[in-house]
Amino acid sequence: MRPLFLALALALPLPATAQDSAAILTDVVEAHVLPGYARLSETTATLAATAQAGCDPASPDLRAAFHGAFDDWILVSHLRFGPSERDDRAFALAFWPDTKGFTPKALSGLISTSDPVVESPKAFAETSIAGRGFFALEMMLFDPAFADQGQAPYRCALIRAITTDIDRNAKAIAEDWQPFAEHVTHSGGNSPYRSENEALQELYKALSTGLQFTSETRLGRPLGTFDRPRPKRAEARRSARSLRHVELSLITLRDLAMRLSADHPAIAADMDGAFDNAIARAQALNDPAFAGVANPLGRLRIEALQQSINDIRQIAANDLGPTLGISAGFNALDGD
Amino acid sequence: MTSRRHFLAGLAAASMTPLGGWAAVGAPDYLAAALFPDGSYRLAGLSAEGDILFTLPLPARGHAAAAHPQRAQAVAFARRPGTFALVIDCATGAQTARLDAPEDRHFYGHGVFSADGATLYTTENDYEAGQGVIGVWNTGDYARLGEFPSGGIGPHDMRLMPDGQTLVVANGGIETHPETGRTKLNLPVMRPNLTYLDHSGAVIEQMELPRALHRNSIRHLAVRPDGLVAFALQWQGDKTRHPPLLGLHRPGTAPRLLTAPEREQSTLQGYAGSIAFASDGKTVAITCPRGNALHQFDVETGNLTAAYSLTDVCGIGSAEQGFVFTTGTGAVGEITEGAHIMARAKCHWDNHLIPIRTLA
Repeated sequence: MRPLFLALALALPLPATAQDSAAILTDVVEAHVLPGYARLSETTATLAATAQAGCDPASPDLRAAFHGAFDDWILVSHLRFGPSERDDRAFALAFWPDTKGFTPKALSGLISTSDPVVESPKAFAETSIAGRGFFALEMMLFDPAFADQGQAPYRCALIRAITTDIDRNAKAIAEDWQPFAEHVTHSGGNSPYRSENEALQELYKALSTGLQFTSETRLGRPLGTFDRPRPKRAEARRSARSLRHVELSLITLRDLAMRLSADHPAIAADMDGAFDNAIARAQALNDPAFAGVANPLGRLRIEALQQSINDIRQIAANDLGPTLGISAGFNALDGD
Repeated sequence: MTSRRHFLAGLAAASMTPLGGWAAVGAPDYLAAALFPDGSYRLAGLSAEGDILFTLPLPARGHAAAAHPQRAQAVAFARRPGTFALVIDCATGAQTARLDAPEDRHFYGHGVFSADGATLYTTENDYEAGQGVIGVWNTGDYARLGEFPSGGIGPHDMRLMPDGQTLVVANGGIETHPETGRTKLNLPVMRPNLTYLDHSGAVIEQMELPRALHRNSIRHLAVRPDGLVAFALQWQGDKTRHPPLLGLHRPGTAPRLLTAPEREQSTLQGYAGSIAFASDGKTVAITCPRGNALHQFDVETGNLTAAYSLTDVCGIGSAEQGFVFTTGTGAVGEITEGAHIMARAKCHWDNHLIPIRTLA
């Protein structure tokens, strides 16, 4: 059935130097993934409870709960595999970018018909993912266009439905991670990962695609081109969280990178230095919603931040990946 | 580069097919783009035995190519999101024209000639609108004649149906924008389809997979002479699921999805790179570079009939018997009774292997 083609059937490359993959996998899961999702489900519970207590979009308590839970989402938002992908939970938590404006359409659709779906968490979970999650909530709390659409009691019920749904999804991910953790740390058998190397690849990919998303999407979308900057495309600009997302993602990706490179001190030091540089640039920027993309000086500084993230990506791709024993072929890498 | 043996083989091949234009360069049987050790990206003409007959430089990484049905002329397309396509005279090695995507468009890497060779169609991205378009070009001077909607987002591969009138387009469903590189912008709402269009762009038929498979991007196509369309898929959903990566469609009917048993299917990482029918039309094969596998199916029964373990295999085309394939490690091989390597070049063969005539 499977004529093995020995001449070409090369084994996966072995790590260049000794490393304890099992220890790395256990450390990432126990110290990075599980605590991150546990924190998220705590702050989403607070968010849902706060919205029940008071749903005024301008309420400082509600806004603080929104910021707290959104922060914790950004800190795990690069861990896009396994439980986060089941039933589209991650997309239902954060539908962005929204290139076709589905979120305002979904919200207006619910409001204009006073859709009773907001009364049932189960039914609401079946509605369009564009009308759920942190970006839908942000629009309800911060966008003037939604401040007086429809009737206040309905807007209140919608805000409560969104926060309850966010909490349900965060809880479902955290709960599913309990059994899934074992799949990552013990590959083979029932695990979707056939080897430690495959599990390690998944974590490495979380790092590399997390860096790519922050550079190309979180910064690339508002940057647009010099002739056509796109400040209104900045992530979570309504709540002035755009820069904060970049900073938080760098902080959490550094934590992951340090754990992945635990057995390779030279690479770890390089990555650490590159993260330091990028995080320092982000912290010095003082442009929370990237409005600066539209003026030459502001743009230059945001481009420098983007370049500093691309420097980290280079180290990850050229040094960390191959050293971990992760390599992919010319075509396998291309993805087209 | 062309040896006497190849030249003679080319002549022999040419004498059997009325393709005078191609005979002059030793009648390459296939075209493929590659990265060479000096860092150059080139388009190569290959013999049926896998030998390189010529290579021509490309300005950047290539993807696929289209061979003119009569002239010794090929159009090599830039890798997405490239904006160039080169018209190459394969007899002289000269670039005879260059296609530049219009403002606010980029190429996806595939295209097809009309049956009479007078028109070239290219898959393109209207990225501000986030919609796919088909560019239409006059092959006399390679001037752009116009464009029409592709019927979806992210059109990738495109073929001419055997009636010589109908275009079939794989709208992969994935929105990208050059300002955000190759980042996928719309995975949760993607809806790939297979669209049949006439020459004016009128939609004749559209096929969508069942809702549960809306994250299965329809990317590459092969068409059998009787009009059966085979499509290769790239799964963008939950990686713990291993849905089919190969489908068959006949206009007016429901698609059939073909899969290996779970144990084999789960090794493919949800990714098929290229697809081809064997020349007898009885088997169809997909290449899976991420799973380092080539899977061959019986078209009639839909069963997996062979699975070969091949590192970074991606290019595949029909051969006189069975298939010819290329790999990112430089191998050119054939699948007949089994698989064997015919030639090895010091290059990385890129995604696709383009047969330049129908080997019947």
